[in-house]
Amino acid sequence: MSVLPFPSFLDDVKEKGLKKAVFEGVDEVVERLTAGLNIQDVREALRGESPSRRPNPRLTPHADGFWLHMRPSYFNTEMVGIYPTFRLGWLSTYFVFFETITGIILMFWYTPSPEIAYGNMLAMLHNVPFGQFVRDLHRLGAEAMVLIVFLHMLRTFYTGSYKKPRQFTWFTGVILLILTGFLSFTGYLLPWDQLALWAVTIGASMAEATPLIGEQVNLIVRGGPEMGANGLLRFYMAHVLMLPALLFVFTGVHYYKVIIHGHSLPPQSENIGEDTAKRVPLDKRVYFIPDILTSEVMWFAVTTFVMIALCVWFYHAPLESHADPQVTPLGTTAPWYFLWIQGALKLGDKTFWGVIFPGILLGFLMVVPYIDVGPSRRFADRRIALSVSFLMLTATVVTSYMGLPEFGVATAPDQEILNELTFEPAHNHMGLLRPVPFEQLAVGAYTTRQFAAEEVDARAAVEAFNVELEETGQLATLVQNLQSSHLNIQTVNFTPVPADAAELRHVMEEFEAFIASENIELLDGWGAVIITQNQQDVKRIDVIVNWQDIVLENGRPVLDENGQPIPVVDENGNAVRRLSTKHIFINQNSAYFD
Amino acid sequence: MASASAAKTQAATAQGEQAAAKAAAASDVSVALPSRREFLYYIWGASFALIAGEITAGVLWYAFPRFAEGEFGGTFTIDPTELPEPGAAPVSKPEGRFWLSRPVIDGQDSFVALYAVCTHLGCLPKWVDVNNRFECPCHGSKFQGNGTYIEGPAPRSMDRFRATLIFTDGTTAVTNAAGDPIPLEGRTIASIQVDTGSRIQRAGKV
Repeated sequence: MSVLPFPSFLDDVKEKGLKKAVFEGVDEVVERLTAGLNIQDVREALRGESPSRRPNPRLTPHADGFWLHMRPSYFNTEMVGIYPTFRLGWLSTYFVFFETITGIILMFWYTPSPEIAYGNMLAMLHNVPFGQFVRDLHRLGAEAMVLIVFLHMLRTFYTGSYKKPRQFTWFTGVILLILTGFLSFTGYLLPWDQLALWAVTIGASMAEATPLIGEQVNLIVRGGPEMGANGLLRFYMAHVLMLPALLFVFTGVHYYKVIIHGHSLPPQSENIGEDTAKRVPLDKRVYFIPDILTSEVMWFAVTTFVMIALCVWFYHAPLESHADPQVTPLGTTAPWYFLWIQGALKLGDKTFWGVIFPGILLGFLMVVPYIDVGPSRRFADRRIALSVSFLMLTATVVTSYMGLPEFGVATAPDQEILNELTFEPAHNHMGLLRPVPFEQLAVGAYTTRQFAAEEVDARAAVEAFNVELEETGQLATLVQNLQSSHLNIQTVNFTPVPADAAELRHVMEEFEAFIASENIELLDGWGAVIITQNQQDVKRIDVIVNWQDIVLENGRPVLDENGQPIPVVDENGNAVRRLSTKHIFINQNSAYFD
Repeated sequence: MASASAAKTQAATAQGEQAAAKAAAASDVSVALPSRREFLYYIWGASFALIAGEITAGVLWYAFPRFAEGEFGGTFTIDPTELPEPGAAPVSKPEGRFWLSRPVIDGQDSFVALYAVCTHLGCLPKWVDVNNRFECPCHGSKFQGNGTYIEGPAPRSMDRFRATLIFTDGTTAVTNAAGDPIPLEGRTIASIQVDTGSRIQRAGKV
């Protein structure tokens, strides 16, 4: 006998033999870990057999275990297919955990400081094994989550699942939608690149439109009058602490409500107010163990595989150049899921369209189940609700389109052209001059006039241009302007583009085409590119657009009866010419030429 | 006849009694005043709500940014020798995100501190000497030297900061609520203070 007051393992071995004693020990461990299923039970479940002992051991993990206590022990067979849920609620939950895990991994290499954050991004791209991959997963997961949560809401609406008794479930769902939007938005800023800074600056400026306390809200959110170190730290804390905490709490409330009311069945199988959760007929039960569990494992595997495959072969999280509070990229937009607010903002008053309108819309969404109390879930009985939803969907699409920079943001054509030639890489595009090979950027001054009149010999056209500049005094203005932007030159002498610089020549032809296409607003316009080199590996490119000023009204040219623009003249009756310039530096080792 | 009417009256009385009993039963529930214990719990609950409000207010106060002098958001003291000549190109003070401008309006020498950020989408307009105006590099909004809108998508003229001018003769002048440039009226400036925490938006393209 054992010295212990109860039989020991050794006693078991003596009594039953080693093999049986070990098996019984392992069996007991398995039963404890699974909170109720021994090896035999597990194997029966995996083989798809009915449980051989009663009471049904497959219900015990739901009653006694922590992990399954929040999962129902059986589902209704009518909702386990793709329809009616499309697994959208499950997928939303999947992405909550997916984003949490990838986010925690990213936190190892991230410091929320404007000095370090962008360096962290570069380090992750080049020096951290799987760094880029994890960032891709997290970014793609975030965008997918916004989309899936939105689709989940649409599905719930169209099947009428928000109706009694599930009104409050819908209400918490709208809170989760808002939290998802804010989580995605706060995460947008963290890479601290141009895309992040300016999209968030535009988005956060909507807070400024809050009536009465707009300025205070803005200061609290950004931690200063502009987005800087404090703002980055605050967004980071919101992104990794406050918002996830709220998201977990409301996910818990939401799922609890889903379970106590039972999954909503297809409209034809369930009457409003009927308690389908607790009265699932025996022949309609699909038990969680093993059927739902294995199905969820399959969904987990497929979704994870899709995410990994997308991030390995198709998707890479964007990273633009370092955030620069002094330079706003042309065509800056809010993230795509906020385009609808940006579009609405173009309709007029910032306070109304930026704060009151989204507030009313989200408030309306929250109380939809308390307004639409119709007892039927059939489409034919829900014509008003469906019409309102289509109206709102259409409005969302239209205002999102209006949020794009192409819509309603009039940019002066000279700035548009300068940008087209010089802009930094963004969204896989860059200014035309940037990829011109370094050796083709021959030092000198070139003009679009060389290409304006093809029939004339190039050298003669450029010579005539030099003379014209000299005689009209434009040359002095040009030199003065270039000197004021710290270009150390005394005069400019234009020459034809060298014969061996084919790509530069191509850019100049495009430049001429741009100016020619704006021949009303850029009346009698010419463009020039001046390339200088003061350091061994660096060339400076100045781009100039010069045109004759015309009479504008509300930013649009005033046309005379012949459809021609009206030139502005000074007090002596001479045409007034305007010019815009922009310069960039190109390094010999720059990656643009790859 | 008589017996019938009597029966009717009886029935009516019975109905009335029932209604009265119902009303009494209802009033038993609704009129009961809170007991002392219940009332004290309400007061206790209210004190929790109060302390929660105080903590929230305290946290917001804690999180509210504070600005030191000479830091964007705080007050800047400018030496008058830094000012441009009357009508000359404005002078940039990038640390305070503003331009010192000395426009000549109707022959009147005046002063205004313009916020450097475009009222359209937050880019930074440059002063272009040859065109004698501010030009925004993003969407091409143009402004005069005194900040007044010329053209482009900007919704209003440039914002400005409240400035306090102290003159050598002891008088002072402060930017008015509309943000108009301050006329100097021939006085010599001894000191300028620009409060970058107090931004004034113009009431349109004026």
